[in-house]
Amino acid sequence: MQSVSFSYNAKNTGRALNRVSFFVTRGERVAILGHNGSGKSTLTRIMGGLLDPDEGVCEINGKNIQDMPFRELRGTVGMVFQDPENQIVAAMVEDDAAFAPENQGLPPDDIQARVELALAEADMMHKKDSPVSALSGGEKQRLALAGALAADVECLILDEPTAMLDPQGRLTVEKVLRSLHEDGMTILQITHQLEAESFSDIDKIIVLSHGAVKWEGNTGDFWNMAGDLGFELPDSIRFRKWLDVHGMNFPDSLAGIIPTPQNHSSGKNTGAEKYIIQHLSFKHDEKNKALTDISAEIYAGEWLSIIGRTGSGKSTLVQHLNALYKIQEGQISLDGNPLPQKGEGLTELRRKTGLVFQHPEDQLFSPTVKEELAFAPKNAGFKGNELDEAIIYGLECAGLGRDFLERNPVALSGGERRLVAIASVLSARPECVVLDEPLAGLDAHYQRIILEMLGRLRNEGKTIITITHDLNTALKYSDRILILRAGEKICEGSPREVIHPITESLPQEAWPEALRLSAEIRTVNPNFPLVYDYDELIALCGA
Amino acid sequence: MYLTNINLGQYIPTGSFIHRLDPRAKLFSLLMIISAVFPTQSIPGAVMWAVALILLIAASKIPFKIVAMSARPILFLVIFTFIFNIIAGYFSKGDFLSAINTAIFTASRLLILMLFAVMLPLTTAPLELADGIDALLSPLERFRFPAHECAMMIGMALRFIPLLMQETDKIMRAQLSRGARLDQGNIFQRAKAFFPVLIPLMVIIFRRADEVATAMEARGYDGKSGRTRRKPLVWKKSDTLAVCLGAIIAGIFFMS
Repeated sequence: MQSVSFSYNAKNTGRALNRVSFFVTRGERVAILGHNGSGKSTLTRIMGGLLDPDEGVCEINGKNIQDMPFRELRGTVGMVFQDPENQIVAAMVEDDAAFAPENQGLPPDDIQARVELALAEADMMHKKDSPVSALSGGEKQRLALAGALAADVECLILDEPTAMLDPQGRLTVEKVLRSLHEDGMTILQITHQLEAESFSDIDKIIVLSHGAVKWEGNTGDFWNMAGDLGFELPDSIRFRKWLDVHGMNFPDSLAGIIPTPQNHSSGKNTGAEKYIIQHLSFKHDEKNKALTDISAEIYAGEWLSIIGRTGSGKSTLVQHLNALYKIQEGQISLDGNPLPQKGEGLTELRRKTGLVFQHPEDQLFSPTVKEELAFAPKNAGFKGNELDEAIIYGLECAGLGRDFLERNPVALSGGERRLVAIASVLSARPECVVLDEPLAGLDAHYQRIILEMLGRLRNEGKTIITITHDLNTALKYSDRILILRAGEKICEGSPREVIHPITESLPQEAWPEALRLSAEIRTVNPNFPLVYDYDELIALCGA
Repeated sequence: MYLTNINLGQYIPTGSFIHRLDPRAKLFSLLMIISAVFPTQSIPGAVMWAVALILLIAASKIPFKIVAMSARPILFLVIFTFIFNIIAGYFSKGDFLSAINTAIFTASRLLILMLFAVMLPLTTAPLELADGIDALLSPLERFRFPAHECAMMIGMALRFIPLLMQETDKIMRAQLSRGARLDQGNIFQRAKAFFPVLIPLMVIIFRRADEVATAMEARGYDGKSGRTRRKPLVWKKSDTLAVCLGAIIAGIFFMS
C-alpha cells in the first residue's frame, strides 16, 4: 500500500468529508481518531471501496480502488465493523470464517486451509466447532476478524472494533490486533476513544474533525497535543508525562517518597433504605440461573454503580426493580413496602423508578421530541398543566433547550438522541433512575454531559443506579459499588471498600489505570496506598 | 409475555446423523412427508405419523422440549383449527361427536405437519439450508427466477430471527417501563399501544439489514454465482437411504 488520498462530498447535506488526504505505508498501524459525527464512518466505507467518493481518489498499491475488479479489491482490503452480530452470517464458527474464501470461488481444500489459518491468527482455533450463539462478545468480534482475514487480505480497516465489548473482551481483540501488526499486517483503525494498551504500537495517528484532517503525527507527539485536539489522555500516559515534567522516572524514583495521608470523605451518606433486596434468585429457565441469592440495600439519594461482565446478571437484577421481571424467589421492598407486581401499584412503581435501557435512542418512536417526552408522564396519568410541566422538567434535566421540543428525534445527532431518550424517562419525575450503560458509544463530550447530569440529579435527592463495565467511571463518580459475577454478588460498598475485592477478583489488565499504577509503585514502595483516582495519585506523589 | 424464551426453529447443532444429511435430502423428504400427511384419513395413520415424528426427533438428539417450544407460535393456529372444525362440523352435520372427531383429527394432523416442518431448520444450519434450497430451485433460474437470491434471503432471515426477537423483547421492556400498556384494552387499543414497539423495531431492522449487507459485501459477496463451498453438498448413500425411507413411508400412506 503506497498511498490513500481523496476527498468526498455528500451532495445535499454538506460535505461529510472535505478534501481529506493522507497516506499509509505497508505494515503500518494507523489510528484515525474523531468524535461522533466527524466523518469517520464515511471515510471507512470509502477506504473499503463500499462507497465511491464524489471527488478525489483512494488508491491502494498505486491503483484506484474504484477501478479495481471486485474480487481483487475484496482480496486486498478486509473490514471489521462495530457490531459483531451484523457481520456473522453462519451458525457455526468454521462456516462463518469460510464465507469470504467461498465468495472468492476457491476449491474446498484451499478454503479449509484459509479458515484454519484465519481462525488461528484471530486466536479462535479452540472454538472452531462451536456454534456462534455460544460465543462471548469478544469471541464474536475475533470471529469477525477471522472472517476478514480469511480473504487473505493485506490490509485491515476496522471501524470501532472494540466499542461494543466489555473490558476483558476488548483486551483479547487488542491482543490479536497487536500480533497481526507484528506479522506485518497493515491496520487502519477508526475510533473515538484512546486506550493506553492499543496505543503502544500505533505508528501514526490521524485526527479527523468535521470531515477534515485536523492533525497527523506519531504517538509521542500526539500525547503532547491531545489536550488541544480535544482528547483526553489515558491516566497512565498522563501520569508518565507528569513524572517527566517533575524529573522522575517510573516507578523507581517513587520508592523513597512518603505519601501524605489524604482526607477522604467516606462517600456521601445516604438516607434511608430505598430498596432492600433479600435473597433474590432468578432463572430464565431450568438451566440458566441468572441471579443467585442476591441481598443488597440501595439508599435514597445515593449513586450506586453495578459492575460486572456481560452476562453477569446486572440487567436482570435492575429489571426486578420496576418489576419487569417478576420475583421468583426472595424479596424486594421499596420504601419499606413489598414491591408491587401488578395493578395500579405497578403503574405507580414504573413511574417512581425509571429505567433507561442500553442504547435508549433506539427506542424513540415519536415524530417530535415533545411527544416522546410526553409518553411516560401520560401513561402515568399526568394531564394538562401537570403534563406540560413534566415535559419541560425532563427537557431541563437533560440540559436541552426548548427549541428541541418541536424537532424530530430522527434528525438529531447520536448524542442528542441519547439525551432525549434519557429525558423521556425523567419527564415522569421518577424518584429513582436506573441507567444501563448510559455512556456506551458516546464520545468524551457527551459522556461528560451525562455524568454531570447524573451528579446533578443525585444532588437533587434522586437515587441513581447505573450499570456499567467501566470500573474507572464507576469508582470516580458513584457513592457505592455493587459487583456481580456470574449472577452472584462479589461485594458491595464505597469505592474505597471495594478496591481490595477488585484487586483479588479481577485480572490486572482490567483494573482502572490509576489502580494499576499505584499497584506498580507498591512493588518498590510498600507504604504507597492503593488508589483508583488519578488526582489522588498525583497528590500522593507530589508530597 | 416476553419473547426471549421462544425458539422459532433455530438451528441446534447436536451432530446427529439427521444433522449430517444433505439439506437437499431433507428438503425432499420433508416435501414427500408433507404431501403424505395431508391425505391421511385414519386414526391409526395419524398415530403412525406421530410415532414417525417421535422417532425422528429422537434420532436428531434434539430435546423434545425444544421442539415443543418451537411449535408454540403455531399452537394458536392449531387451536383455532380445532374450534373452527367443531363449530363448522356441528352446524353442517348436527352431529357433535363426529364434529369433535374431525376436529381432533384435523388439528393433530396440522400439528404433526408443522412439527415435521420445524425439524428442518432445527437440524440444518441456515447457510446449508440456503444451499439446499438454492440447489433445488436452480432449475427455475432458466425462467429468470432469482433462485440464489431467494435461498440466501431465507438463510439470512433464519440467522437473524433470534436477534430480532431479542431486540423486540428489549424494546417492549423499555416501553413497558415507560408505562406503556401493551397487554390491556380491546384489540384496537392494543394495536395502537404497539406502535411504540413497532416503529423502533422497523428502524432497527432496516439499519441491521443495511449493516449486514455492507459486511457481506466487504467479505466479497456480490450475489452472483461463482461461489464455492468449504463443504460442497455431497450426495451420500445415507441421503439416498433417507429419501427412500421417506418415500416408502409416504408411499404406504398414499396406498392405505
